[in-house]
Amino acid sequence: MSTETAPATTESVETEHDHHPPHLQHHFVSSEQQFDSAKLGMWLFLITEILLFSALFVAYAVYRNWNPMAFAEASSTLDWVLGSVNTIVLLTSSLTVALSIHFIQKNDKQKTVISLLSTLVLAGGFLVIKYFEYMAKFEHGIYPGEAFAPTGSGYEYLAAIPYVPQFFSIYFVMTGIHGVHVVIGMGLIGWMAWRAHRGDFSDEWYTPVELTGLYWHIVDIIWIFLFPLLYLV
Amino acid sequence: MAHATDDHAAHGHHIIPIPTLLKVFGALVALTAITVGLSAFDFGMFEIPVALGLASAKATLVVMIFMALKYDNPVNMLTFSVGVLFVAVFLIFTLLDTAFRGDMDNVDRLTIEERERLNEQLQESDVDAEDLQVAPSDMQ
Amino acid sequence: MEAAAHAASQTDAEPRTYLNHETSLWEWLTTKDHKKIGIMYLISLAVVFLVAGLLAMAVRLELMSPDFSIMSASQYNQTFTMHGIMMVFLFIVPSIPAILGNFVLPLQIGAKDVAFPRLNLASWYVYIAGGALTVTALLVGELSTGWTFYTPYSSQQGTAVIFMTGAIFVSGFASIFTGLNFIVTIHKMRAPGMTWNRLPLFVWGLYATSIVQVLATPVVGITMLLLILEQTLQIGIFDPALGGDPILFQHFFWFYSHPAVYIMILPAFGILSELIATFSRQRIFGYRAIALSSVAIAMLGFLVWGHHMFVSGQSAISSIVFSLITYLIGIPSGIKIFNWIATMYKGSVWLQTPMLYALSFLFLFTIGGLTGIMVGVLGVDVHLHDTYFVVGHFHYVMMGGSVIALLGGMHYWWPKITGRMYNETLGKIAAGLVFVGFNVTFFTQLVLGSQGMPRRYYEYVDRFAELHMISTIGSFILASGLFLVLGYALHSLFYGKKAPQNPWAAATLEWTNVAAIPDPHNFTSTPLVTRGPYDFHKADEVFGGSGDGQARGDGAGSDASRLAPPEAAPSAPKEDASA
Ligand code: HEM
Ligand SMILES: [Cu+2]
Repeated sequence: MSTETAPATTESVETEHDHHPPHLQHHFVSSEQQFDSAKLGMWLFLITEILLFSALFVAYAVYRNWNPMAFAEASSTLDWVLGSVNTIVLLTSSLTVALSIHFIQKNDKQKTVISLLSTLVLAGGFLVIKYFEYMAKFEHGIYPGEAFAPTGSGYEYLAAIPYVPQFFSIYFVMTGIHGVHVVIGMGLIGWMAWRAHRGDFSDEWYTPVELTGLYWHIVDIIWIFLFPLLYLV
Repeated sequence: MAHATDDHAAHGHHIIPIPTLLKVFGALVALTAITVGLSAFDFGMFEIPVALGLASAKATLVVMIFMALKYDNPVNMLTFSVGVLFVAVFLIFTLLDTAFRGDMDNVDRLTIEERERLNEQLQESDVDAEDLQVAPSDMQ
Repeated sequence: MEAAAHAASQTDAEPRTYLNHETSLWEWLTTKDHKKIGIMYLISLAVVFLVAGLLAMAVRLELMSPDFSIMSASQYNQTFTMHGIMMVFLFIVPSIPAILGNFVLPLQIGAKDVAFPRLNLASWYVYIAGGALTVTALLVGELSTGWTFYTPYSSQQGTAVIFMTGAIFVSGFASIFTGLNFIVTIHKMRAPGMTWNRLPLFVWGLYATSIVQVLATPVVGITMLLLILEQTLQIGIFDPALGGDPILFQHFFWFYSHPAVYIMILPAFGILSELIATFSRQRIFGYRAIALSSVAIAMLGFLVWGHHMFVSGQSAISSIVFSLITYLIGIPSGIKIFNWIATMYKGSVWLQTPMLYALSFLFLFTIGGLTGIMVGVLGVDVHLHDTYFVVGHFHYVMMGGSVIALLGGMHYWWPKITGRMYNETLGKIAAGLVFVGFNVTFFTQLVLGSQGMPRRYYEYVDRFAELHMISTIGSFILASGLFLVLGYALHSLFYGKKAPQNPWAAATLEWTNVAAIPDPHNFTSTPLVTRGPYDFHKADEVFGGSGDGQARGDGAGSDASRLAPPEAAPSAPKEDASA
């Protein structure tokens, strides 16, 4: 049985036993290592999210390149005012989530919770606006796919333009998947707010809040691209 | 790991001041307004580049400041860049097909051999001098 | 050395191993130990391999002769479809990383576990959920799309396609979790002194693989999701009848599935480097070239997917570009082959079973790679596409490459995993059967394809009869070899000789610094790494050898036969390791 032992080894073993913050998992040597790992893991997860959406952007690019007119016509029926408002709503929620990290870094529990809850409210607002947008479309028979059957003034003429359904399919799939991410994000943020309230986090350790924040920003970034491509063609 | 301050230094945790966050937020809102404003004009082929450029500027701000990538471990930056790079690969190589789809349609339907045989046949067959006059200069 | 002595006595007093620690079924199912998760993956994947292998035998039986039939045409379509899907998505893609990567990676870099043990366990459950969905797909209907799910056929099939694509979506997450975990583990969990240049090449292979897993898998996920939406809502993105573009589906599919072939082969390259170095007792030739070529392949692998679509009707310019880049892929692959051969040159090659698999790999993968270049040539592929030539090509790389490397790796690490030695003689016989059987099965398919035999056909003309018969016979030889492996592996679990700590006198940490059967926490104390992974001479120095090449510290005791010339080497070293 051979085991190379050297000063460094004992050192790392010691570190582990001397300070043992409650959040430190046994297989990490230090909080720093644990934090760095979590963060790199999160960034890797975020690029999987980006690549997941990339296929939708590619589909968008391909069909828009082929049918620019149909896309322009179809896009003009989307409500750019609501879209802009939603963009601002999400940007604000990004700000509040960034603030929550700022406050937890300063150990200000109350402000952290408030920032997180504001984020939650803004995210909810985004979904409500999105709901009304969807409903306005469904009312006029604008559905993804086969069910697409535009009715009513301002929409009827779409039926005659080929490839308009492609635009709406892409629109619904993209915003739908984005919406699912918003819902998941709300769950995470609510959970973080509760944990922050419970006092789980401090300036020593707030990794989950930071990771949730990263996730939320990516959701925002995807919307930043969706907005001009879908609403402002 | 004794003191919080040491911790921050060691972990590279950067506290972003609130004024910075607010400034970035202001810039994001301004860029959104510009995006919406510009969409009233027709830029023709530059429409998509302009829209994407503005969106990328916004995304960069979010990634760099809100997500603190600017102050973060470089390996996270590398990770993110690689992700973006491969989105570009995906997009460009797919468009390389779809934007040029059907570029073989104007290719000669005869094989080289057939074309040669046809030429030979034409050479063998008698042609009047008149038939060979195709360009205006031939007519003189 | 006080601590070392301490550690040793502790281990003697209390021989706690990961296998006799927390042994109840519940503890296994909730374990966060990377080694146990590796074993759970091993068992699950073995089942999948067995089922998918039996399906392959059914296909070969059906094709044995033109006038012999065991199933209807539609059953035939379903059989090869399930064979392909299970082998690709549920077996080869996870295989090496999830089994050997899980088990070996933390040991090789001197870590207690992977960075995210819970995520690791979740990956296994997600994989099982994918398996459950696959079974559901089989129960609810017929699946005859082939593993490629090309639209519009696939988007007009029944619910089975929905469940199957759902299964691929779900099991994709298992793959992402593993890849993500490994990247972070390799970046952040290395023991002190384990620099990037000292990483064993298996770790480099896993690293490159993980990059591909993380970048490519999300795209197959969304593709499958879109296919489900195409089926259920007719969103008209892929179905030409609805204005969609079926070729776009192929782009999406191959954007994942070409890189996926590198998910399969890169870890195999990693295993090969370990085997060749250890069994040649030579420092690996061109360490850096091998390491970086893996990463280069991982990246370049994203730029060639269109070579699967040369005759799909994609634009000629993209065919040309994809074809050109495809040639480039040959370069890093070639670099590796040359480096391995150079490593063996003047080494003392020790022909144990793992090395036999490594040599098989060199032979088979070279054929696989060269036939790959052949079909990568635009003009040639017009003739060969969708023929048995392509079937031959990818079996040479996937079976002859990945699976052979997996077998080699399993034999190599079997003593560490189970604490038992397998029967070396039977091992060699099985390796021979597999090699011969494989070539008889698949070389004939290369010939068949070049003569025009199309793939996925239920019937064929008489002139192909002899070659098909030979191929079927080969598949039986191959199967007998694989069943022999299964047999002696199970046998060794109960009756195999106890394995010493380092039966192969290897120099990487999992052999030098870990007990014969690893401790639940892997290392008794964090290792300090002061040498490269293939510094066999230094391994003796550092680990307490007397400098005569007979390391004491590697746990193989003073059993001189270990380093004796190859001919004299007994199949299994002496039993009592810790004496
Ligand atoms: C030197 C490297 C390689 C080159 C140049 C290459 C090239 C190609 C080309 C051009 C095709 C398309 C043939 C056709 O459909 O007409 C192909 C098919 C295929 N290759 Fe490779 N390949 C290489 C390595 C690999 C490896 C390492 C694997 C897997 C481990 C692999 C797995 C496959 C599979 C599964 C297919 C068939 C897919 C299908 O249509 O079902 N290849 N290869
Ligand atoms: Cu390929």
